Amino acid sequence: MNSMDEKLWNYIDGTCTPQEHEAINRLIEQDEVYRHKYNELLALNAEFSNNIELDEPPMAFTFNVMEQIRAEQALKPLKATIDQRVIKGIAAFFILTISAIMLYVLFSVNWSAGGIDWKMPEFKIPQIQISGLLNSGVMKAFLFFDAILCLYLFDYFLRRKRTAKTA
Amino acid sequence: MQHKPTDIELIQQSLAGDQAAYAELIRRHQRFVFTLALRFAKNREDAEEIAQDCFVKAYRNLQSFQGQSKFSTWLYSIVYTTAMTHLRKKRIATDSIDDEDTFIQIEQKPSGYDSNNAENRSRSFYLNMAIEQLLPDDAAVITLFYKGEQSLEEIALALNMEANAVKVKLFRARQRLKEKLERLLKHEAKELI
Repeated sequence: MNSMDEKLWNYIDGTCTPQEHEAINRLIEQDEVYRHKYNELLALNAEFSNNIELDEPPMAFTFNVMEQIRAEQALKPLKATIDQRVIKGIAAFFILTISAIMLYVLFSVNWSAGGIDWKMPEFKIPQIQISGLLNSGVMKAFLFFDAILCLYLFDYFLRRKRTAKTA
Repeated sequence: MQHKPTDIELIQQSLAGDQAAYAELIRRHQRFVFTLALRFAKNREDAEEIAQDCFVKAYRNLQSFQGQSKFSTWLYSIVYTTAMTHLRKKRIATDSIDDEDTFIQIEQKPSGYDSNNAENRSRSFYLNMAIEQLLPDDAAVITLFYKGEQSLEEIALALNMEANAVKVKLFRARQRLKEKLERLLKHEAKELI
């Protein structure tokens, strides 16, 4: 930082020490060359401050960025968007329920009774006439439901493809 | 009078899920980010891509912004790293400060402003043309200092450099800009004669 230009730029920017500031101030007052250079740099500084222009981005710039953000969020896997607290809450509910049932069972067992007969309970399966249920009306409804599901799945794939392309 | 939210308020709203707040933040900074990207990329298409990338990256990492510096300083550091990555990908040599060969060619080509009428050929026009001819680093430092309302320390933070190095860089960039401006104006004066 020795040249006259450097010293004067530091003086203009206010980045020199108080001692340097004082010395340069004196030089500007007394030295014609310094004064001339100082005025020249000051004018240049003002020109840089006032005349440098910022470029304008395209009209849809903000919209494009927001679209990109939205597309990125849509592509996120579901597990990443589910709040961890919800998962922990569900887990806690099941753990508590199972523990409560276990405790109830353990406390309600008659431990003193010996020779327990461990027989499985008997279930009677009701007789259903399946052939009666599978008439043409039911089959049509079933096929119609399947067709709807297929269309839904196809639409889902097309949407995912388009979102990936725009992202 | 309607209260204009600060950058920090807009960030908090964005973090709470308000996308309109982030859109407002983009509108507020897009001109400067785009200009800065243009200083590195030298063409509008690449600059737009870099600028868009910056805002998306900033959104992704908004939670990591701790407010210790200005939001603009943090954003400009993203612009700088994104632009550098982009340039590296495009294999454009930007790191050598003394290698001006690439830009001499542009400088010696007066066709760009021949077609413009004399009214447009103001000093401001030539100043912006001279900036375009600077090396990306020089153009970025000049833009950050004069238009980004950034101090030397903040520029150092954005460019990941020492404040003293930025001071020297700024001095050299100003000298180069002055020389280029004088050369362009001399060329113009000759044309008029």
